[in-house]
Amino acid sequence: MACSRRRRCYRAGMDIAPPRITEAAAAPPQINVAGLTKLYGDFTAVNDLSFSVRPGEVIGLVGPNGAGKTTTLRCLAGIIPPTRGAIQICGFDLARQPIEAKRRLAFFSDEPRLFDYLTVSQHLTFTARIYGVAGYEETGRRLLEELEIADKADKLPMELSRGMKQKLAIACGLLHAPSVIFFDEPLTGLDPIGIRRMKDSILKRARDGAAILISSHLLHLLEEVCSHVLILKDGRKIIDGSLAEVRERFSEQAGGGNLEDAFFRATGETKGEE
Amino acid sequence: MIAGALFYYQFHSWRNRLLARIRRLRQPKYLAGAIVGGLYFYFYLFRGFARGSHPTPAQTPLALPPGMNDLPQTLAALVFMFMLLMAWILPHARAALAFSEAEIAFLFPAPISRKTLIHFKLLKSQMAILFSALLMTLIGRGWGGGHFLTRALGWWAAFAVLNLHLLGSSFALTMLMDRGISTWRRRALILGAVLAVAAGIFIWMRHSLPPFPAVLDQRGVAWFFQYVGRVFESGPLPYLLLPFRLVVAPYFAASYTQFLIALAPVLGIIWLHYLWVMHSNVAFEEASVELSRKLAERMTAARAGHFQSVRRPKKAARPPFVLRPAGHPAVAVFWKNLISAGQYVTARVWLMLVWVAVVSGVLLQSPWARGGGGGFGMVVIFFVGMLLIMSLFSGPQMLRNDLRQDLPAADVLKMFPMPGWQIVLGEVLAPAAMLAGVQWLLIVFGTIFFPDRLERHAIPLALRLSVALSAAVVLPFIDLVALLIPNASVLFFPAWFQLGKDGPRGFETMGQQLILMFGQLLVLLLGLLPAGGVFALLFFGGSFVHWPLLGLMLGACAAAMILAVEAGIGIKLLGGVFERFDVSGEVLT
Repeated sequence: MACSRRRRCYRAGMDIAPPRITEAAAAPPQINVAGLTKLYGDFTAVNDLSFSVRPGEVIGLVGPNGAGKTTTLRCLAGIIPPTRGAIQICGFDLARQPIEAKRRLAFFSDEPRLFDYLTVSQHLTFTARIYGVAGYEETGRRLLEELEIADKADKLPMELSRGMKQKLAIACGLLHAPSVIFFDEPLTGLDPIGIRRMKDSILKRARDGAAILISSHLLHLLEEVCSHVLILKDGRKIIDGSLAEVRERFSEQAGGGNLEDAFFRATGETKGEE
Repeated sequence: MIAGALFYYQFHSWRNRLLARIRRLRQPKYLAGAIVGGLYFYFYLFRGFARGSHPTPAQTPLALPPGMNDLPQTLAALVFMFMLLMAWILPHARAALAFSEAEIAFLFPAPISRKTLIHFKLLKSQMAILFSALLMTLIGRGWGGGHFLTRALGWWAAFAVLNLHLLGSSFALTMLMDRGISTWRRRALILGAVLAVAAGIFIWMRHSLPPFPAVLDQRGVAWFFQYVGRVFESGPLPYLLLPFRLVVAPYFAASYTQFLIALAPVLGIIWLHYLWVMHSNVAFEEASVELSRKLAERMTAARAGHFQSVRRPKKAARPPFVLRPAGHPAVAVFWKNLISAGQYVTARVWLMLVWVAVVSGVLLQSPWARGGGGGFGMVVIFFVGMLLIMSLFSGPQMLRNDLRQDLPAADVLKMFPMPGWQIVLGEVLAPAAMLAGVQWLLIVFGTIFFPDRLERHAIPLALRLSVALSAAVVLPFIDLVALLIPNASVLFFPAWFQLGKDGPRGFETMGQQLILMFGQLLVLLLGLLPAGGVFALLFFGGSFVHWPLLGLMLGACAAAMILAVEAGIGIKLLGGVFERFDVSGEVLT
């Protein structure tokens, strides 16, 4: 069921193909997390979390509210320091070699964070200098065209809609062709066309070899774009594995149910209508 | 029932806010702030009151000529009239009641009548009015006669009328807009009426009173007051000012009896205003929603210490220079922060200012302009000196295009593949460059305008240029060190700077600001000591061997180098602090 839905999605995306799990399995992981723990005072937001993501894999980070998804992503992006544990991005230790690690990653938060006083094109210029992207003009122009905001190059963020701001944040994040991409609720506030394009974009980056981690509550979306899933609850990992494995393990049906069923079973929650 | 719900909301909001403020005193930073803020308030406001807390008989603080004791009340009435007049001239937007965003979300869709909403708003504004009245009574305890209570109630009466009048006038102006009378047409009509009244009074004065200049010439200051008294007490002005005098009269009452007599008409005026507001059939909801959104944005930005975003840029600023993709990434942060400063930070603007300084300086140094004996030059020098001193102390507090501006976006900065010291360097460079630019401009002005003689002492050009060059060399490094201090404060005490969305307010916050201000001043003075010592040593050493100018220049260069080393160490240390800075820890504070 889910597979056929995914195929439909890929057909609509034309040149998009699903993540190549078999090829990825042979490559070394781009994201390697070992024993990640984050404490806020006495409160444990993330508890001894370990997992890895290989090139081309799209891993969905799911869990109830307060499970520690955003904290995990912020630790992985180097925004907040973990209390314990090690994070490697493309083989670089985020604590010991933060510059090299950060050069290879991009993080997209649910709320686009832009500078009020920089125009669209100035955002790209600024990002290019920060990441040292030679010849960014051509890449930037292509990204703006791909994201359909090329005609807004001289606009300030306040003159853009929320969706356009998100597109600008994406353009800035992708300018340096990151090998590791983190998305925190990437579809919040997007219209149906924006959602479709975002899904296509995620899959395209995965096909190009990026390791992608997506946090979202939209389980049907994750089923469409993810090759793997990691379920968190109360900061602890419940399970991680390929979509098929997770569905298989937490389904009463032969051949596996859908991710939503698996999520409710894994987290011990009950559906509202039940 | 609705009134009960609104009262419940208001009471519990106030109570919870108070409890939260009391609870947070357990944190040392708020306790320290509360102590310092409390002491400040005590010494500034309450001490004088506490000394004379018993009701005192009427006093007239200004020694006015006999029979002129009504003049303060008349002047207060004039000020009040002016304020009400402005309420009819200045506004250009539709009537809007300021509700919070939550109030809009809960109350507007609720089954609450328009009348109840206005009542709620009016009663809510009473809290602010009472607080303002108390504050003004404490601040202005020496301004007039009467007792503390009558003065406080006098302020309350005036503020209450003002509040109601502003609301009523905004409703009336909205009705005029709805009837097609544009803002400018309305302003022209009102100003025309004001001018006609002023002309009438002037004509009456010309016919009824002696000419104004002759009064001063012949009779002196006392007669001037009598003249002013006659203007206010005879002719048309007493009638014009009567309603406004009535409003301010309770404040000036010398006894409780006088106060009660004066209060009666004011209560009548308040009642009339209330009827006017309640019977104005104007839709305020839509404008209120927009106003609330803007207020929420401003408050969020201001409480986050992000004052620049209080006024968002309306159009894109020209980049100060072309930023290439290759090169030091700190320059990108510098470039970004210069853009955030606005349209005025481009090389073209600064070159134009230097050109203006040079041309005006040359013109004013010409013989015809110096006919007055160089007095103008000394005035310019005085102002330049004052501005230079102010720039050193106030400049780093005013120019905040650094971490103080970017701390709300700390998570974005933390993602940049840059070591912390580069981010700190890039952040402080922009305000340092702007401040140095202003100071260099002042130095150019000062050098051009400085006279070549002071009394009998010649001031040779070499001396003027040496002092100017020395200052130009040293000042940017002092700026850099001075700017590092508030940026360090942001990183070490982020909760004191970045107050968060529902951040603290009140006198404990004020106390925190005072502690920070004095702390920063102390650190700056300590930071300047080594450079100052070396400068003094070289300068006086040079003077001792009769090479004062060489000593001056060498001292300046050595001081600049020491300050540069201090700044470098500071940037490196702060970079480390920035790398360890845990944004999440501050969110939870």
